[in-house]
Amino acid sequence: LWEGPSPGEVPGGTSVPTARGYVGTTRCRRGRSRRPLRQKVPGPPQRVPTYLVPAILTTVFCCLPAGIVAIVHAAQVNTKLAHGDITGAKQASKNARTWSWISFGVTVVFLVIALVVGAATEQGGTG
Amino acid sequence: LSRSLRSASVVVLEGTTARLMHGAAAALALGACVVLYAIDPARPGFYPTCPFFALTGWYCPGCGTLRGLHQLLRGDPGRAFGLNPLTTLLLPVVIYGLASAGLGALRGRGLPSVFVPPSWIRGLLALVVAFWIGRNLDMALLAWMAP
Repeated sequence: LWEGPSPGEVPGGTSVPTARGYVGTTRCRRGRSRRPLRQKVPGPPQRVPTYLVPAILTTVFCCLPAGIVAIVHAAQVNTKLAHGDITGAKQASKNARTWSWISFGVTVVFLVIALVVGAATEQGGTG
Repeated sequence: LSRSLRSASVVVLEGTTARLMHGAAAALALGACVVLYAIDPARPGFYPTCPFFALTGWYCPGCGTLRGLHQLLRGDPGRAFGLNPLTTLLLPVVIYGLASAGLGALRGRGLPSVFVPPSWIRGLLALVVAFWIGRNLDMALLAWMAP
């Protein structure tokens, strides 16, 4: 429901060594530590969910091509993230979610119709 | 993958709506398992037919899922695989996702989120489409794909 990138996999979330101090100033000489500091530079929040699990669920349970469209968009999320295209990844993520809901919604409508018509009682068994 | 797993961060659910939605998904799945255990989908009458099959007469990639899950819940993974190998193989991914959703709803933090490489998702896509076509072909070699 959320497989996003792990931190450090996308630009902006990398670990960057800080400067040892400010050379030429008194601050440098009185620095607490001589060891080079490694500091995590926090990038903007970049967990973009792929909605892969809902995509799989609606593909397998809803029997509609919409679930497959959701998988296509799920793949695009991580492809775009890998290229650093955060905006595109977020759009693809939104699309993946939308298509999973479409698949789910259409199936619910179909189920309601099937119940009303009573077709379910005559030809069940291929779920 | 091992690198992804090591640096994986835990899924955090913020907001009541997110927790409710994830909780509903997990609860729905649990309820479905109870119903599927109790009532066999191979027996006609209770479950509706697959919409795609009803409209076109062709199998969809999910056909056989309910009957397969019933067999699995009754302790027969072999027959579950026979009814829908795709669902049976993808089940660990789905269980992980739903478990994370349930945990997230309860305590706000789910399971570690795994970065799935895009090539894997594209591979899955190709697999689903190939499976969809394959199980509708009338070939003895592909008979194992049909439910």
